[in-house]
Amino acid sequence: MPQIFPKAINPIAKMLVLGFPLLAGLTGVTGAAFYRSSYATGVDETPPQPVAFSHAHHVGQLGIHCVYCHTSVETSGFANVPPTKTCMNCHQQIWQGADLLEPVRESYKTDKPIEWNRVHNLPHYAYFNHSIHVNKGVGCVSCHGRLDQMNLTGQASTLLMEWCIACHREPEKHLRPKEEIFNMTWTPAQKTIDPKDGQPYPTNQKELGLLLKERYRVRDAVTLTNCSMCHR
Amino acid sequence: MKPDSTDIPAVDPALSDLENVPGFPGSRADEFPEGASEFTDEVSRRRFLALMGASAALATGVGCNLRPASQRKIVPYTTQPDEITPGVPLFFATAANLGGYGSGVLVRSHEGRPVKVEGNIDHPSSLGGASIHSLASILDIYDPDRSATCTRRGEPVTYESAIAELRKQLYNTPEDPKKNLRLRIVTETVTSPTLSSQIQKLLNLFPNARWVQFDLAGRDNVLEGTRLASGNRHNISYDFTKADVVLSIDSDFLCIGPGHVRYARDFASRRKVRQNSKDGGPADEMNRLYVVECMPTNTGAIADHRLPMLTGLMELFVRELAVTLGIQVTSWANQPQLGSANEWIKPLADDLKAKAGKSIVVAGDHLPPVIHAIVFAINDKLGNFGQTVHLSAPIEARPEGKVTDLKTLTTEMASKSVDALIILGGANPAYSAPADVPFAENIKNVPFTFHLGQHQDETGVLCEWHVPEAHFLEAWGDIRAHDGTATIQQPLIAPLHGGKSAIEVLAAVMSEPVREGLEIVRAFWQNTDEVKKLFPSFEKPATFEIFWQESVRKGVVTRTTPAVKDAKDDKDEKKKDEKKDEKKNEKSLLAPNWTTDLKATLRGELAANEYEVNFRLDPALYDGRFANNGWLQELPKPLTKISWDNAAFVSPKTAREKFAAKTDYSWTAGEHGRAAVNVLELRVNIGGTDRIIKAPIWILPGHADGAVTIHLGGGRTRAGRVAHTPDEPNAEGKPYRGFNAYAIRSSDEPWFTRNVKAVKIGGAALGSGQQYFLACTQGYWQMAEKDPLTGKLLDRAPVRRATLAEFQKVPEFAKIPPAAVGETDLINENVPHPVKHGEPVPSAHKKDDHKHDHGHNGNGHGHDKRLHPLNMYNPAEGLVPDLPDGQRRRWAMAIDLTACTGCSACVIACQGENNIPVVGKTQVTKAREMYWISIDRYYDFQNGLPPEEQEAEAIKTYFQPRMCVQCENAPCEVVCPVGATVHSADGLNDMTYNRCVGTRYCSNNCPYKVRRFNFLTYQDWHTETYKLGRNPDVSVRSRGVMEKCTFCVQRIRGAEIVAEREFRPIRDGEILTACQSACPSNAIIFGDINDPDAGVSRWKNEPTNYGLLAELNTRPRLTHMAVLKNPNPAMPKPK
Repeated sequence: MPQIFPKAINPIAKMLVLGFPLLAGLTGVTGAAFYRSSYATGVDETPPQPVAFSHAHHVGQLGIHCVYCHTSVETSGFANVPPTKTCMNCHQQIWQGADLLEPVRESYKTDKPIEWNRVHNLPHYAYFNHSIHVNKGVGCVSCHGRLDQMNLTGQASTLLMEWCIACHREPEKHLRPKEEIFNMTWTPAQKTIDPKDGQPYPTNQKELGLLLKERYRVRDAVTLTNCSMCHR
Repeated sequence: MKPDSTDIPAVDPALSDLENVPGFPGSRADEFPEGASEFTDEVSRRRFLALMGASAALATGVGCNLRPASQRKIVPYTTQPDEITPGVPLFFATAANLGGYGSGVLVRSHEGRPVKVEGNIDHPSSLGGASIHSLASILDIYDPDRSATCTRRGEPVTYESAIAELRKQLYNTPEDPKKNLRLRIVTETVTSPTLSSQIQKLLNLFPNARWVQFDLAGRDNVLEGTRLASGNRHNISYDFTKADVVLSIDSDFLCIGPGHVRYARDFASRRKVRQNSKDGGPADEMNRLYVVECMPTNTGAIADHRLPMLTGLMELFVRELAVTLGIQVTSWANQPQLGSANEWIKPLADDLKAKAGKSIVVAGDHLPPVIHAIVFAINDKLGNFGQTVHLSAPIEARPEGKVTDLKTLTTEMASKSVDALIILGGANPAYSAPADVPFAENIKNVPFTFHLGQHQDETGVLCEWHVPEAHFLEAWGDIRAHDGTATIQQPLIAPLHGGKSAIEVLAAVMSEPVREGLEIVRAFWQNTDEVKKLFPSFEKPATFEIFWQESVRKGVVTRTTPAVKDAKDDKDEKKKDEKKDEKKNEKSLLAPNWTTDLKATLRGELAANEYEVNFRLDPALYDGRFANNGWLQELPKPLTKISWDNAAFVSPKTAREKFAAKTDYSWTAGEHGRAAVNVLELRVNIGGTDRIIKAPIWILPGHADGAVTIHLGGGRTRAGRVAHTPDEPNAEGKPYRGFNAYAIRSSDEPWFTRNVKAVKIGGAALGSGQQYFLACTQGYWQMAEKDPLTGKLLDRAPVRRATLAEFQKVPEFAKIPPAAVGETDLINENVPHPVKHGEPVPSAHKKDDHKHDHGHNGNGHGHDKRLHPLNMYNPAEGLVPDLPDGQRRRWAMAIDLTACTGCSACVIACQGENNIPVVGKTQVTKAREMYWISIDRYYDFQNGLPPEEQEAEAIKTYFQPRMCVQCENAPCEVVCPVGATVHSADGLNDMTYNRCVGTRYCSNNCPYKVRRFNFLTYQDWHTETYKLGRNPDVSVRSRGVMEKCTFCVQRIRGAEIVAEREFRPIRDGEILTACQSACPSNAIIFGDINDPDAGVSRWKNEPTNYGLLAELNTRPRLTHMAVLKNPNPAMPKPK
């Protein structure tokens, strides 16, 4: 029986044998890199907003508390974006005529809500709950970054599942005293006073984390990484 | 296991033959039904182009967006209402209306969208349970076919102009009503105090006006029966908690009719046999139920003794019983024979007499007044009034004339003596009028017609003016329960399509100062004098606002339950009024000479060529009003398990002998769910004309021989997209869902007739020509398995059952698996046990033991090398070694099969809670229905005969709700290649949709067959209104994804978050799964078996608790409790 392929094909075949896994590997690496890229995750992206609201001004400079606007963050899964009324509480008094605030006044007058562009996009099958995180010692800054320094709000974390899981596996790395939840600049080195005994907390995050994990009854890594914790 | 059978004997002679029957489970090698796994639809040219277009778009990247989420918006309120926390649902109390009576509900609202209906624990008709109709009513509000505009002859007009025109017709000048106007107002049954007072006001303005009530399912016969017996009309309600013996004469009191949810709960409370004193203990005596019925019903299925009987014989039976009990009713004129039913009378009467004062005799609402009168006398004789049967003043605003009124109206319309017609509140006589009442033909004789309805239905389209009606979740109103208690109905959402309620329309017509629904209802309740006329015990509240807020919040108005008439009270009254009934029995409520008016209305046995046709309300579609509700259309009807159709039901014997029907079709459609059936042609003579309908025939074991039962509610021509089926014509070849049985229903004999000219199989025999197919889900997903050696089907005895006496002899009978009797102990060790008192919550993590093969109590099977754990999950520890007690949970469920009536409320509740799609009839016939709960129906195989060869009275029916049992050793988990189904630490078998790639290995490996696969895009992603009704806490699944019962994991996690936030353990009963909270008879319990005091632990410690297929080493967390029956040994044995 004659050969189907001439001998000259051999080097090509060898190259193919060598090249195919390389190509496949490269595609995989490229894919993974793209999947984690800031383009795909939207990290560091600041979408335009109908009103150029600046957290840096309101939080960083004026020192308004997070919960003044995001009222439901401690009691609901959803940390609400404030109703127009909340803006107008102050802006009836100050900057009443500012052009920047025209959409706010318009919304208040016509009773038509402002449509904000969502910054943090979780897939619809992931059920994140703000209240449980805030109540168990996860600070705002841990996920949202230094909002007190952001003009337009941007996304500080990748929101990839591996990012969620990393913390659910080792929550002690990110826990802080509940009194400091809304503090944008807190570090364990600050020697925060433990209200329980009047002594400062440990200044080492690991030690502090384990103490708080025990105290706040944060559940174990196995439970926290159950699928149905987030996917329902 | 064999289908429809729970026979205990291991070897069944009938079985060996069955294996060769095509379509019989076990005779096929494939696990999946044919066609279920392949896309068999023909690819049309259009579809091909669409597909190609889509792929081209994908290839070029146009249709592909890597970051679709980034375009999402957040839309906050402008001013946030005080009571709303975004993300936290609110519950509002109101009442669902069916047949004029209200059933209390709590409706969950997510940011203003009503999403889920639950029962209202404070409401006397609900006590926390809910019926399929109130649960499914949430879908009606989002019905895309609801009428959205006011119209005049189909042209859009404004509401104001419609009202202006109506006023012009009714008034000469704005203040001067046209006194001579022959106005007719058509409504359904009205119990609403506000609406009835408004109608009364209108009638006072127009002396020539008349109120026409039309409700084919009304309770007129019951009320008329009480009038015949006692001289006055009374409303009857029952207290089943006190009844030891119940006799039902063709009454499905557990599944249909006002108050049935309450009755089911009360009845079941006397049926659960418990050892634990917390749940009643052994002292609590089990009740006994006798049922005499024609068409098998769910009430009949759970009866201890059931007697199939022609409706035409029932009066005779009741009279005989009354005579035996010593009541002087005239006996039957020419004494036809009761046949074998005669043997029932004596022991039944003895049992009733023995339990005098603690028994109930209840007759079906559709039976003629005579029977109700005699039943009244029986209850009176037994001294049940004031004990178990309660009388009160009628609750309906007009307790009579619900069919005759329409007849008179139609005559008037025919003679052109009606000037104006106003049709309110969903009455649809053009569809459901009896065949001899040509309402639709004569409506054109009325110069002015005005229709208020949610749809432009059969009646609406005939009327000149149409105004869209508000759904009960969109409007203020009030309504009364089966025992008379009033509820204020509050809206949860502004009318989606600008609908108006009947009270608003009437207020506008009469140009009243208050026009808003809220103000009208408030004004009525503020008028204490008016309220007191209806509710004598009502008292003027000190502060109206407090009374109002409290009534609305609670869903019940206090002091509105009418005083119950006791035999003694009545006697006092009578003595005061007149002293002529001294001679009578001291406590009797009966009027003197009550028997003189009793005319025999029913006949005896059927002649050789005679037929009896019975009409019954459809268990799901009711009278047809739910025809456009996909949930109820697709729901496998309780007992018959037919989905998407109504049918003519006959007994196997009748089918064989009278119609010589072939029996390829029968009580189950096999695992395809598709049954080719013959079409029955029914010819009934009404008013001199023959009327014909064609109905698919369905053989139902247990049906009385010689009768045909047809369900009303099919064949709606203008219901909407769900009921309109150009691709799947009905048995008559018309493009509608089901056939219209009203065409052969007369006003004289609305519920049964023997005026049947002919019944025959239409056209050619099965297999050629006249053939129709029905979708039936019984036979799907069989838990069948063949013995590999003998090839016989193994009997797994899924439903285990015994009589009370047998149970007392061998309490643990249910724990014996017939397939492996010798290994009973071993297998029972393998069913997860609740923690016992004093025993530490299992936590010891043996570092040296990595085999994970020990149960937490009794390591009996730890040494048995045959039992290997199938996954990494160690049930004893919940995977986590050292958790604080409050956090170590083992979720589990138990279902009491004795209490389960098979009513299917859990199925609808689950569908609403978990966003389960409707798939359509064709998909159902490919075994692709998506319900997470299937309620299996089983028949007893007695004497080794299959159901179709048994005598009707020997048929015993059982129900078993089957959903994912959350195996601790889950077979599905080990075969999933992508880890989409894995265990959680608290023992849930999690299903992660976003990981699922759709291999379906899990469903192949599931012995319980509870996994459902989205073969196509079943979820309606495009209809805007449906989007509003979805539960935001549950993912909406798309094509290619497996799904199954999750134990309502969204509710578990929600409750956990709340409890963790408050640093406390979850309380027992804090989490109710959707099925559990809806269950009218409280047959389902859910909780943590690490809590020895939890309800679920107590249930699981009962001896009747057993694990379904536990011998497969699955360690099911969901267990069932065996069926117990309490038969009377004196009763005759069925042949």
